[in-house]
Parts: sequence; structure tokens; C-alpha cells
Amino acid sequence: MTTDRTPKIMALTTHSIFFDAYETGSDTLTTQKKIWALAQYCQSSDDFVDIVPANNNLTLYLNEPAQLAGWLPRLLDQWHELKASDFNSRHHKLTTRYGGEYGPDIAHVAKHHNLSVDEVAQMHSSAKYHVLFLGFKPGFAYLDGLNPQLFTPRHAEPRLSVPKGSVAIGGEQTGIYPESSPGGWQIIGHTDFRLFDINAASPCAIEPGDTLEFVIQEVLK
Amino acid sequence: MITIIKPGMQMSIQDQGRTGSRHLGIGQSGCIDPYAQIITNRLVGNDDNNPVIEITLGLAEIQFDNDYYIALHGTDMKATVNGNAVEPGWSFYIKKGDVLKLNAARHGFRSYLAIGGDWHLPDPILNSYSTDISAGFGGLTGQALQAGDSFEVTPKYNTKVGLGAMLPPKSTQIRIHAGPHAALLPKDTIVNFINHSWHVSPNSNRMGTRLLSDECDIRHTVSLPSMAVAPGCIQLPPNGEPIVLLNDAQTTGGYPLLGTVIEADLRHFAQLKPGDFLHFKFVTLKEAHAAQEKLTAHLNQLAIALNYINK
Repeated sequence: MTTDRTPKIMALTTHSIFFDAYETGSDTLTTQKKIWALAQYCQSSDDFVDIVPANNNLTLYLNEPAQLAGWLPRLLDQWHELKASDFNSRHHKLTTRYGGEYGPDIAHVAKHHNLSVDEVAQMHSSAKYHVLFLGFKPGFAYLDGLNPQLFTPRHAEPRLSVPKGSVAIGGEQTGIYPESSPGGWQIIGHTDFRLFDINAASPCAIEPGDTLEFVIQEVLK
Repeated sequence: MITIIKPGMQMSIQDQGRTGSRHLGIGQSGCIDPYAQIITNRLVGNDDNNPVIEITLGLAEIQFDNDYYIALHGTDMKATVNGNAVEPGWSFYIKKGDVLKLNAARHGFRSYLAIGGDWHLPDPILNSYSTDISAGFGGLTGQALQAGDSFEVTPKYNTKVGLGAMLPPKSTQIRIHAGPHAALLPKDTIVNFINHSWHVSPNSNRMGTRLLSDECDIRHTVSLPSMAVAPGCIQLPPNGEPIVLLNDAQTTGGYPLLGTVIEADLRHFAQLKPGDFLHFKFVTLKEAHAAQEKLTAHLNQLAIALNYINK
């Protein structure tokens, strides 16, 4: 039987706290769900400027340095009380066109794994993905849930421009490009789902802890 | 109307930046030296968080199609108006049609231009007028200012003109907090980092100041789960060349941290130019807090003095 180890908590600065639950004993996704639960608990307080979950850790930015000392023990107490199910999330369906001009690398991915293009689209769209956290660029989601049979190395030479909405595989991850940008991932499809719109009241359609699935609109050869 | 004739190396509209959206991958942006921004705004009678133009290196020209109170602060770029020298740190009156010319900075890297009045910019994004150059939003066009860009400022003359104020002193000794990864890095990494001087790489920008050393080898192979990062985090990529993250940095990263620059010393990175040397010193939370209080006191004293003068 494994006992969960206590997370590490430290003050990064006079007004920020790093809460690290990596290698606490639970599996990564269970730990991550508790991180989301702790983040949502903290959102109910006015003490924080920013609450940023990442990979099995949480960084909290406080309004006032005076608030720091109280939160160090309080976070740990909450961690022990919270359950992995204690958070609210939304589910998103992303209608996706696979292959053809929308997914110029799907044939390469299929060949790499000895699969057909249809099988790649089927496998990619039959999984439920968790939004672990956002980062790298506004609206870029780090997703958990890619079928290991689809793990594919990145391009040796990144493309200078990958269109906004491209659905891609990079190593052990899959993701969606929120804006057109350079990128080295294998592009397998495209979604019109608007991940990020800076002029919208809430610019980002998805939040850490949400789940999403890709729904096949068509598979082009 | 304010018209950019020559933007120089880089010029952008910044205020104190945006908060509250880091979990969506949206960074802070904002002036690298927020104290210069506040003080310069106060000299022309603007609110503290009014946007200013952050000017990097100089070699720039700006035209004014109205009479304004303006002030420049930060490093001395040997500015002139109609051939007359303009001293940094003083407000002055600029007349319709005048062109402010900036030469190259020699002892620093950035200066801040405040223009007294109401700035007519596109609506703020997430409560900030700051330009997020890498993501392409905010400011005037979402980009650094270009030759020919112009925007309206309705002038206000609600202060006395000819006022001067000093910035808090410069330093190349940067005070830092201990980071979370000391024990994961090869032995002596932190000691070597602290005991050596570093110089600023030409490859530095508003995302981060990249550091080089000819004497110190702190390469490593440590790989970590991603964590949130923010301005001040000192990342150590495997090549052993530390990066001090600044205002345009991304919100998450996977490199180990050597430490975090105390908030009071982040402003120094506005003036560090390629080739400049700096070194780091660990301080306690208490010392960092005291440094912050000292800057707050500097601003409070200025507020008292300006209140008195403008009475």
C-alpha cells in the first residue's frame, strides 16, 4: 500500500507560493484533479491576483505579502480535505476535419504506426481529453489522454506557420493551435472551434480541468 | 495627435500590465520599470497607471500635433527638441509641430515617455492598455509601434510644468529569493551561479534577459514537469545560460529555477543592455519586503512633494 506523500509548499517571493504535488504517490491525473480542486477553492478568496495550475503543481500570486504566512498551512489543510472530484468543469466538443488540406501530416502519422488514415482519425476522436493546464501561448491547452498508439515525434524542422485551429500531435501530446504560429507538431486536422478570442468577454473558451473530445466532421484522403 | 516618425529599436505602449489571466496562458506585459512609468506619469499630472511609451535604446523620433506637457524618464537618450537638449526626469512643455528626437542610450537601455492628457487608444484588453507583442494584442495595434503610427491624446495641463523627480538608484547587484530546484541541480550549480558575474546576451528582449559567462559552466540535464513562471523567475535551460524572465514571458515553463528576482529589483532589467555585467545575491523574505517598502516610500515622498508644489 502506498501512502500519499505530503506536497511541498514554499514561498517563491514575498507574494507568491509554489505548491508542488508532483510524486505524491497518486497517479498524475488524480493528483491533477486535486490541483484543480485546490485552484477552485482558492478562487473563492479575494487574496489572489492569479492562480495558475501547471503539471501537478499550483502557483498562487497574492495581492499582499501579508497574506502569505496564513496561506502556507491553509493550503496543506485544504489539500488533505479536498477530493479529486471537488471541482466544476465543462465538456467541449470540437468538430474536426481530419486529413486532406486540413491535416497534411495525417498520412505520415498513419504510416509511422502502420495504421490507415481512418484509423488515426478514429483513435484520435474516440478519446476523452483532460485540459491539464494552459500555457506557452494564450489559449494553448496541454491535454492528457492521447492514445499511446498515436505518439509521434515532432518534425525535425518546425513549419514557419501552422494555421489557427490546427489539431496536431507532438510526441506524447495532442493539441490545438489557438493562433497561427510556427510549430513542429504533426498536423492531422483542423477545427473551427474558437479556443481564443481576445475581444470576447472571456477570451478563452476552455479552462484548466475542462474535458474535450474531437468529433469527426469528415476524413479526407 | 502623437505620430511616431521613427520607432528606433523598439517602442511600445505599456501600462502596469494585465493580471488575472495567467491560468489562460495570458502574460503580464507592461513596463519593465513600473517605477519609471509611475514617476513619469506623475510629472505630467497623469494617473499612475496611465499608459506611457516604452522606448528601447533610442534612435527614435516622435511628433506632437498639439501643445503638451511631457516627461521622459529612465536612461538618458540625449533627447532634443528643436536642437535644444531635454533632460530626463523633468516635465516640459512641447509645442504643436515639435519633434522629440532621441539619440542612442549609452548608460542604460530604456526610457519612458509620459504625455499629459487623455490617451485615445482602442479599448483596454483585460483591463490593460499594454501591448502584448508576442501574442499580438493590446496597445495601439497589438504590435510594437511602427513609423507612421499615430493616436490622439487630448492634452491636460493640470500640473505645474518644469518639475523634476529622481528614480530610485540603479544597481547591477540583483537580489533574489531561493528557488525550489536547488537540490535537483548538479552540486555547486547555485554556488557557481552566485559566485560569478554574468553579462547580458544580445539575444535578450522583453521576454527575458539572457545571461552568459565565460567562466561559469552550469550545464545540466534536469527535466521537470511544467510549472507557472512569471517575471523575475531565473530559468536555467540545459545549456547553462540562465534566463531572467521579464514582462513578456510565457506563463508556464519546464526549466529548473535558480531563484526569483525580488520584486523591487526587477526594474533594474529595464536598463541592462547587451554586454552589461550583473551578479546575484540571495536575500530573505524580510529583506525583500524591506526593499519593496523603500520603493513605496520613494513614491510616497514624491506624492507629498507634488501635492505641495501643485497646491
